Amino acid sequence: MSVWNYVVTAHKPTNVTHSCVGNFTGPQELNLIIAKCTRIEIHLLTPQGLQAMLDVPIYGRIATLELFRPHGEPQDLLFVATERYKFCVLHWDAEAAEVITRAMGDVSDRIGRPTDNGQIGIIDPDCRLIGLHLYDGLFKVIPFDNKGQLKEAFNIRLEELQVLDIKFLYGCPRPTIVVLYQDNKDARHVKTYEVTLKDKDFVEGPWSQNNLDNGADLLIPVPPPLCGVLIIGEETIVYCSASAFKAIPIRPSITRAYGRVDADGSRYLLGDHNGLLHLLVITHEREKVTGLKIELLGETSVASSISYLDNAVVFVGSSYGDSQLIKLNLHPDAKGSYVEVLERYVNLGPIVDFCVVDLERQGQGQVVTCSGAYKDGSLRIVRNGIGINEQASVELQGIKGMWSLRSASDDPHDTFLVVSFISETRILAMNLEDELEETEIEGFYSNVQTLFCHDAIYDQLVQVTSTSVRLVSSTSRELRHEWFAPAGYSVNVATASATQVLLATGGGHLVYLEIGDGVLTEVKNAQLEYDISCLDINPIGDNPNYSQLAAVGMWTDISVRIFSLPDLNLITKEHLGGEIIPRSVLLCSFEGISYLLCALGDGHLLNFVLNTSNGELTDRKKVSLGTQPIALRTFSSKNATHVFAASDRPTVIYSSNKKLLYSNVNLKEVSYMCPFNSAAFPDSLAIAKEGELTIGTIDDIQKLHIRSIPLGEHARRICHQEQTRTFAICSLKYNQSSVEDSEMHFIRLLDDQTFEFISTYPLDQFECGCSILSCSFSDDSNVYYCVGTAYVMPEENEPTKGRILVFAVEDGKLQLIAEKETKGAVYSLNAFNGKLLAAINQKIQLYKWMLRDDGSRELQSECGHHGHILALYVQTRGDFIVVGDLMKSISLLIYKHEEGAIEERARDYNANWMSAVEILDDDIYLGAENNFNLFTVRKNSEGATDEERGRLEVVGEYHLGEFVNRFRHGSLVMRLPDSDVGQIPTVIFGTVNGVIGVIASLPHEQYAFLEMLQTNLRKIIKGVGGLSHEQWRSFYNEKKTVDAKNFLDGDLIESFLDLSRNRMEEISKAMNVPVDELMKRVEELTRLH
Amino acid sequence: MWKETREREFGNIRPNLFSSRISKSRVSSIRLSNYKEIVSSHRGSVNSLQVDLTEGRYLLAGASDATVAVYDIERATDYDGGGLIAKHKSLFVINKQHEHGHKYAISSAIWYPIDTGLFVTGSYDHHINVWDTNTTHVVMNFKMPGKVYRTAMSSIARSHMLIAAGTEDVQVRLCDIASGAFAHTLSGHRDGVMSLEWSTSSEYVLVTGGCDGAIRFWDIRRAGSFCVLDQSRSQIGRRPPLLVRPMTNKKSSSTAQSSSAKVRAPQKKLANGNALKPHAVCRISSQVKTAKQRLHPGMLSSHDRATGHYGVVTGLKVTEDGMYLLSAGSDSRLRLWDVESGCNTLVNFETTRLQSSKAIQMAVSQDSSLAFVPCMTTAKAFDIWSGQTKCTFRGHYENVNCCWYDALNQELYTGGNDRQILVWSPSKSISDEVDEWKKEQAATIDQDNWSD
Repeated sequence: MSVWNYVVTAHKPTNVTHSCVGNFTGPQELNLIIAKCTRIEIHLLTPQGLQAMLDVPIYGRIATLELFRPHGEPQDLLFVATERYKFCVLHWDAEAAEVITRAMGDVSDRIGRPTDNGQIGIIDPDCRLIGLHLYDGLFKVIPFDNKGQLKEAFNIRLEELQVLDIKFLYGCPRPTIVVLYQDNKDARHVKTYEVTLKDKDFVEGPWSQNNLDNGADLLIPVPPPLCGVLIIGEETIVYCSASAFKAIPIRPSITRAYGRVDADGSRYLLGDHNGLLHLLVITHEREKVTGLKIELLGETSVASSISYLDNAVVFVGSSYGDSQLIKLNLHPDAKGSYVEVLERYVNLGPIVDFCVVDLERQGQGQVVTCSGAYKDGSLRIVRNGIGINEQASVELQGIKGMWSLRSASDDPHDTFLVVSFISETRILAMNLEDELEETEIEGFYSNVQTLFCHDAIYDQLVQVTSTSVRLVSSTSRELRHEWFAPAGYSVNVATASATQVLLATGGGHLVYLEIGDGVLTEVKNAQLEYDISCLDINPIGDNPNYSQLAAVGMWTDISVRIFSLPDLNLITKEHLGGEIIPRSVLLCSFEGISYLLCALGDGHLLNFVLNTSNGELTDRKKVSLGTQPIALRTFSSKNATHVFAASDRPTVIYSSNKKLLYSNVNLKEVSYMCPFNSAAFPDSLAIAKEGELTIGTIDDIQKLHIRSIPLGEHARRICHQEQTRTFAICSLKYNQSSVEDSEMHFIRLLDDQTFEFISTYPLDQFECGCSILSCSFSDDSNVYYCVGTAYVMPEENEPTKGRILVFAVEDGKLQLIAEKETKGAVYSLNAFNGKLLAAINQKIQLYKWMLRDDGSRELQSECGHHGHILALYVQTRGDFIVVGDLMKSISLLIYKHEEGAIEERARDYNANWMSAVEILDDDIYLGAENNFNLFTVRKNSEGATDEERGRLEVVGEYHLGEFVNRFRHGSLVMRLPDSDVGQIPTVIFGTVNGVIGVIASLPHEQYAFLEMLQTNLRKIIKGVGGLSHEQWRSFYNEKKTVDAKNFLDGDLIESFLDLSRNRMEEISKAMNVPVDELMKRVEELTRLH
Repeated sequence: MWKETREREFGNIRPNLFSSRISKSRVSSIRLSNYKEIVSSHRGSVNSLQVDLTEGRYLLAGASDATVAVYDIERATDYDGGGLIAKHKSLFVINKQHEHGHKYAISSAIWYPIDTGLFVTGSYDHHINVWDTNTTHVVMNFKMPGKVYRTAMSSIARSHMLIAAGTEDVQVRLCDIASGAFAHTLSGHRDGVMSLEWSTSSEYVLVTGGCDGAIRFWDIRRAGSFCVLDQSRSQIGRRPPLLVRPMTNKKSSSTAQSSSAKVRAPQKKLANGNALKPHAVCRISSQVKTAKQRLHPGMLSSHDRATGHYGVVTGLKVTEDGMYLLSAGSDSRLRLWDVESGCNTLVNFETTRLQSSKAIQMAVSQDSSLAFVPCMTTAKAFDIWSGQTKCTFRGHYENVNCCWYDALNQELYTGGNDRQILVWSPSKSISDEVDEWKKEQAATIDQDNWSD
């Protein structure tokens, strides 16, 4: 790999951090707005459910998301503040259907220390000011003027140092905040302050309350008429106002999110850390609070945000599990739960660990993640491309074409599958036992190759062979009419719709027939100058049985032509250029836009937007799908039309947001495909592969396919063992039933196909699994799972004891072969020169695998290295060891065979708190750190002095904005040796927000080119809220902020493809590179993920 | 750390909370390091310690024998105890024999804040020298009117390169490295200036503590100090209480307004009259600017005589967040000041005695929770908010003069009259391995003896 890296998101963040409900897109429209850390999604509430309107990236990590409505505004505005102290006010422009920035600014200060408990951003209910608590001891106020515009911000000193929550109170003549804080003695209190804008200071507020629940950490302001505030503790809930104080005890729980149900604020939904959803009711009489009541509603994912939508429908956003749309029923179900889950939204976060495997052994990587936490823990299998779930298959050699036919025109299902071979045609049909068996259609020629088949109107079937077109009754299966090719000419290619047949014979003859009831009429005959290579009359107009256009691909002049039907007038002629003839053309329409797809013999696909009224072809685009000729066919799945491109790299073409997208199908070479929607195999496809006919259903059409394996416990480490075809995980189960939270830790063995637990090894009490590895040792041919653990004693701050366990898989069981006690937690294990390298607290320790006299094996320590604070992350390559320290960045150690010692070779002297490391190549190491940055360092072996050689030089820096837990070498896509991107090495990373990303090392020439493109794109694509991309990607920590270097933002670069043609041309002009060339190069990059 | 690492990995604690919690727990457990030693090159009391601000790697020490030395605190020069105890010898020493070396004691040695290419020493021989680190040559020399007690450079300055110097003289001088001349003299103190600190939030604000007991704030762009701290002024009762609850009804809310207005009025007066409106330190808003202009030259003489300590102000330290100032005096008191309001916070630090003859160099942990103060032969860590002694560091045989807290490693460096530089660090559980090594050593020695 190289220092020039390209970072791109393969799976967007799915961890819901904030959500809110309001009338954002229109006065009458109810919107759900969801923040997923660095993205904002806007949904519209419709009677059919939630409808996504917009999903935009934000150049920042969202710290606050609030809807508010200044006086006189017809609809709500959105206030967004980011963790890097930028804020913006967004407003929806209904006409342009886009987000407009009303105001923006920077609220950072030189003074003060960033708050430990997270940033707080609140808006006065009467829209007089915005309050921000960003630094300990300071409360920043951004006042509104009379017109609702923001004025200059100022700070007010806040004596309370450990602020836990601040909210505005409702119904106060002047803006009043209520502050929940902790004092020096760890007692918690609330206090109120009035903000006086004139003096820019606080005035003592109307009331305060001392000595609350020790776990109180959430305030809920209650709107009029009741006013006041609810203080949510771990054991009590308190209602507090100037005139009233009511408290109720609750079962010990940590409330993580709340949602207000009624506008009058009498009911609230509370979600706790176990995922239990409670309803809190404030009982009141004549606007005086009389008490509180709490009721358990049921279980959801562990909520991070709760938004009550309407009609008892609630959005539960989660950081630890899938987010949910739930309905609260009036009556409990059999289990006593009032919660009914309407919809689940996949969330991969937090990805604590993952591994890259190739389970199907197809040469395509899949990622298996340890996702979720607590009870929502799961494994997720993430793979690129679309899977085919095989239902049935037959061995059949030499298939030359396939078509499905119905037994009657109004039959919703297909009955026959016509399979054509070089010198015969066979017909398969579903019999009564729902088996596919060979049958016959008497009217069809069966001893010649079929060129085309189609259902026709009036319960008829059409078969085209090289000599004739036969019209057959689908009920009696007898020939009704036949049209013969003129003598001396044979039919080369043919196509048909329900009412039309278009065929081409040798000598460039194009013949158009129409199908009547028992009759074929030759309507038109045209003579073209060259031979015809392919044809299509797939109806894309209003009539699904009749096409008004025909697409024709030509030999010799390599063109594609559009003819009108029935008169066969040439409307458009488009030269394709090059020397490769078109092999398949297809007319199709997606999301109301008509396209002409034209596949060439070398695996390239051209697509044009087709104007159906005048036949004009525009927006020509070319992509490479494979290397072999492509056969195009439409099919439908889940009520949407897609195109299947059969070739050596089968691809599904679909459209999203009016943009054509290409997804790999996880199959090797496919020669033909036809949809086969039979009663027994609904929505299936028949696929002809080499020597085999498969019938199968297709996955959801999307780029990444995710399969969930719920575990009900929290998996922390995962590892795959190829030889035994198993996964091993370290997991823990929280025991909620007992009074004290207890955990049980396990090593579990899973089958890599079924993902079922096949063996479990429970760890000792207080023992936790910290690392897992599959490896083998020198002088021993067996493979083992090695597990590193720690004994976490309640009375100890740091583990002082741990174990390394060596397991073998025997008969599907974990067998403990050896164990070795360690003097601390085993944070990391690596296979190293046929030995085992462990990171134990601050030490790196190397173990040999020794054969004892009695034939048993043991781990024997060989040598070690001190000098770390905590060696959390370790990677090895050859004799080199790269250590990511808790707070001392990356260091490079070397193992010296002769001396049998590990020595430090070099170090990065920056103070980075590491979260993951990986070795890119011999000299370059990649690190992720605590402030969401990535960086690369380079070994300086040619340095002149010891000092220079002993220093790892920082060569790349980048703000990712995501907390990376793990890097792994590997790729999500099929690596084809012949493509350019196949040569680019990649590293995959997984983050707390559920992002799966790819870091690709580019050659310098390509990097320089893309860097120029990125610079130009920054000028064209403006960040939402006026946030700057350059600032967002700059490396940032407490000590320094420096521009990103040697890293490119792939997400920005790939958004080039979403630009309109004009803007693409703008960039093309600025870069002096043709648009097509730019598109080609960017499209290539999208293949990396 | 174990628990935090696990919680961080699934996003249960914020990364910044993670690092601050670990730093806090580590700093609360520091004791005399069992794995790191500085081999002092000094023959006189160590008066000043500073780790460079760019890399956090090089410790600069100045001592009474006119020596100044630099130690690499990251890379050991050799190891002891079977590779477990790292020894750090000085990279270079400059002593009296050096052609430009100081003649008398070095009272202050500081790094140039932007890079490690330069450092500055101030000496009792009335000179301030600016040194090139790589060649160890004096590149600039400032002749001061008296003994130099303390020098300081702003770590956040972008528009100036000034060395502020406190000397026997009543005037504070600003030496400009860019021009090699005195840029400015600040007059106000009535006696020598023993301690000074630049603000950590504004590059133009300097705080000085004099032998006259005054602590003055200066905006170097203007003449005169804009604020003198007064130990008798505390911030208790700073915010006027709301007398009538305004929520009950309209009538009372109107009275509430009038009453609160009444209460506010004196507050305003107080603010103006006492010239203590402090915004200048953090940000210069237009409102404050006008207030300040009114205040400066004609500051009330009564206020101008206010003192921060009875006796000499021997040490000053601004917290990293720029919100608080810690001062030490020959009255053996430590005071914590709220910088913005200029008020004494009245935190009662449990000090017994502080050195009074010499300036002391204090340190504050990064999250401003602990203050490290030389207290005679010990150094003490105080909880800043309660004033309680958290820890007493006993190791020096004579008075401790200076502390430097290295926030990157959570380590404390102290220098004393016993010529030692001691390292106090979070404990590492290597003691049993050291024991093992010692046993081994003993065993081999025994063997040797036996074979002999």
